[in-house]
Amino acid sequence: MAQEASAQLLDPAAIARAEALGILAREIVEGFMVGENKSPFHGFSIEFSQHREYSPGDDIRHLDWKVLGRTDRYYLKQYEQETNYVAHILLDGSESMKYGSGKLTKFQYAKVMAACLAYVVLLQRDAVSLNIFDTGTRTYIPRTGNRDMIFEIAARLAAFEPTGGTGISQVLHELAIQTRRRGIVILISDFFDDESKILEGIRHLRFSGHEVIVFQVLDPHELEFPFQGMVEFAGLEKTPKLLTRPSEIRKSYLAELENFLSALRLGCEKNHCHYTLVNTANSLHEVLSGYLAFRRRTSAR
Amino acid sequence: MSFLNPLLLAGVGAISVPVLIHLLNRSRVRRVAWAAMRFLHISVERNQRRMNVEDWLLLALRCLLLALLALALARPTFQNAAAVLRGRTAVTGVVILDNSYSMGMTDGVQSRFARAKKFSETIIDAMPGNSATAIWLASDVVRGLVLEPTRDLNLARKTLREATLSDRSTRLFPAVRDAVEALRRRGSSRKEIYLLTDGQAGGWEELSETIKLLNEVKRDIHLNLILISDREEHNLGVSDLRLGSSLTPVDQSLRFEVQVTNFGHDDARGVAVRLAVDNDPPSDQTVFDIIPAGAAKNVSLFTKLRTEGYHAVTAEITGDRLAADDRRTLVVAATRRLRVLLVDGHPSRDALENETFYLRNALLPVDSTAVNDFYIEPVVITPTELAGTRVDNFPVVVLANVSDFSQATATALDQYVRRGGGLIVFPGNLVNARFYNEELANRYGLLPATLGPLMEAADDEHAFHLQAKAYDHPLVTLWNDPAAGTLSSARFLKAFRLQPIGRKEVRVVTRFADNAAAIVERTVGQGRVVMFASTANSAWNDLPVRPAFVPLLHRTLGALLEQRNKALNIAVGDRFTLRTSEETLGKDALITHGEKLRQYRRIELVENQPVLQSEEIDLAGTYEVTIQTEPPVKLKFAAQADPRESRLDALTEGQLTQLGSVATVVHWQPELAWKQSGPANTGSWEIWRVLAWIALVVAVTETVLGQIFSEPK
Repeated sequence: MAQEASAQLLDPAAIARAEALGILAREIVEGFMVGENKSPFHGFSIEFSQHREYSPGDDIRHLDWKVLGRTDRYYLKQYEQETNYVAHILLDGSESMKYGSGKLTKFQYAKVMAACLAYVVLLQRDAVSLNIFDTGTRTYIPRTGNRDMIFEIAARLAAFEPTGGTGISQVLHELAIQTRRRGIVILISDFFDDESKILEGIRHLRFSGHEVIVFQVLDPHELEFPFQGMVEFAGLEKTPKLLTRPSEIRKSYLAELENFLSALRLGCEKNHCHYTLVNTANSLHEVLSGYLAFRRRTSAR
Repeated sequence: MSFLNPLLLAGVGAISVPVLIHLLNRSRVRRVAWAAMRFLHISVERNQRRMNVEDWLLLALRCLLLALLALALARPTFQNAAAVLRGRTAVTGVVILDNSYSMGMTDGVQSRFARAKKFSETIIDAMPGNSATAIWLASDVVRGLVLEPTRDLNLARKTLREATLSDRSTRLFPAVRDAVEALRRRGSSRKEIYLLTDGQAGGWEELSETIKLLNEVKRDIHLNLILISDREEHNLGVSDLRLGSSLTPVDQSLRFEVQVTNFGHDDARGVAVRLAVDNDPPSDQTVFDIIPAGAAKNVSLFTKLRTEGYHAVTAEITGDRLAADDRRTLVVAATRRLRVLLVDGHPSRDALENETFYLRNALLPVDSTAVNDFYIEPVVITPTELAGTRVDNFPVVVLANVSDFSQATATALDQYVRRGGGLIVFPGNLVNARFYNEELANRYGLLPATLGPLMEAADDEHAFHLQAKAYDHPLVTLWNDPAAGTLSSARFLKAFRLQPIGRKEVRVVTRFADNAAAIVERTVGQGRVVMFASTANSAWNDLPVRPAFVPLLHRTLGALLEQRNKALNIAVGDRFTLRTSEETLGKDALITHGEKLRQYRRIELVENQPVLQSEEIDLAGTYEVTIQTEPPVKLKFAAQADPRESRLDALTEGQLTQLGSVATVVHWQPELAWKQSGPANTGSWEIWRVLAWIALVVAVTETVLGQIFSEPK
């Protein structure tokens, strides 16, 4: 059952591209396992990082004797340790994610995306946790480095049905408080919530040392608002119905949306978060590979 | 305000259509489950008020557009002074010119008809742009020169100029009625009838009907009665001309009765009357010393017809201002010898025993030496010879105690009478009553009566007689004068009881003392049949030996021939109809009336008879007909106008006041300007064009606004 669910969720093409590119953390995080990711802590790692001048009180075990012999100057060798990280995947399971103009709803798209990311993380021997939330946590899988857990993750994703409203900031604050170990927080949502509160939550996470990656998943109809004629819009999160001729308010709608997206994007940039707008009309592997390529470029600096 | 097409006002209900469409559109709403309600709410809140305003504005414009279109189609009109300020409305009119012959009255320079034509042009000139008018001529018939109103006013003017006078009388109600009907069919706000007439009282016999009709339609149709008359006190006319003689032999003095009437209001003195044949100088004339106002005087004038054939005999008085009634023409067919076919049903060696002995002698009341020169030529044949005899060569055929004959002969005799032949029937002991009744009377409709039971007197003392007085048939009125002798002295021992056929063309000429019909006559086609109850010889009665028999027989011949002449003299307004012989079938006939008329007509079968028929005759006088056979057959006929049209009586003030209540009555004067006195200034204002333009503007506005409003905002 779990395998069937994972087969349904794991887009082979997306996963292949993700494996090839991997995930390179933008910042060095602390980890249990030695891997491709570098530790943010210097002095005990096996890989040389840089020299610095000796100052009284330093451990003389790290003195570079060769440099001292050649130059009579005291330099200490600094090392950095490659370490594993924890990727916290936060998936918005609110009812607004049920919208989809095509074959896929935003939630279906986001579920596949979360599964792909979890798989890639596990494949790199890093740890992953999954949190599906609406106004609070609804489904949670604690951090795990066991690759076999991918099936459990996929099963949980497949079994989830969005029902509630949206309360992103609360979840982010809770995560920031509860998780002392710094990690990568991957937030997948449409963010149809108060953007100031969301950004507050993100700031909290950043303050806790987490790297935050934001994927805003939107349907093409939400982005383009292409409706014609008289349309009655029924809100997915218990909001009142609204009858209007959308073609006549399209500009206004798109302007409002753009304001919202800009505010979110700028807020993310201010907090040094990666922000990616995902249009569900685009294929997932293109979205993921595009993002990971971007991430590798920016971490190679 | 009124509407020309009020039914189309129902179209205003179409304003519910946009509302219905709006409601239907609301019911056909697409429903979408939506996540991004937050932005939508903001956008709708920001735009809803504007959208509502736009919606209501567009809805109002669409409703207004439909209402305007419905109103424009209903064609509202305003009839008030304010309308005049906005400009005059196009007229849809019918110009009716009275072209009866009284309109030919001149003032010495110009006839009433010429003035009417000229003033009609003035009326047309005064019509506002885009007006339309029909041109009709009215007398006792209505003729549409331009039947339906045309906007080609030049055509109307040209038609007016070419209009001609007729010799018809006046009856104007049909023209007004037809014009009202014609205008009722037209969609126009201003419908006018312009009737130009001389206002003769005789033309308004149906005045009350006319007023009633105009009253009914006065909201829509207006009559302008333009009276083109000048006070004329004098008019004399030849009111009657008829042949006084019973027969029309060549070179015999013929008597014509001429009647001259003074239609004026003053006595006429020294009125000369002349009688002329064809274009010859007058052959006889007389002068009336005085003809009192309103009185008629008769005179007998004599002339001779010099040649065989058709002659136009014209009675004429000195011309006055109405020339049309100053002469009257009669066409008569002159014969050199009048051949009478006597069919003797019982020929005998003893002449006295013959059925036709007395007939022959009565037809030839001259010495035996003068028989050959006498203008009547009796020809006696036997019944068996009748089948082989061409009866068309004889103007009159007499059947005397003829038993019966073949169907072919009966048919030939029937057609002969219908073509204008005369037939006299005397019964007798040999007559097959069943044949006469069933075949000749009932099947052919040839006889005026059937033969009933035989009336017999036991002896001379009980013999029965003809009525002694109170003769009312023209054939026997002569004997109302005792000086002319008597018919009642004749004794009858036997006679058939004649049972006249109940038809209007059957008349009893005289009766027996017991009121049984003795002589009956009827017209059959253009011919005539006279039927006696008793024999033509002395077998059943002694009438043939009585002095009255000769004039009776001659008057009978005259009556039969008069019938033939009657066909040659018709009233104006009738069609000339002439039954012709078989040889002329399919031939063309040219009918001319001087230079005024020239028409070809084909001789066609009507009821199995070759018939020449003209169109309705409009002009009085002599017509010449040439049937294009080899050699051509030439004949004449004449048309006489109704003398009542010569009367000068005009509509009274009271009648004019009555007409004035439903029409505008204008008395023509030489300086009359139509724009000032006519009803053009009382016109109505039709606003459908304005409404149509507004509707167009609304439509364009709606389209533009709809386009602007539907753009994304």
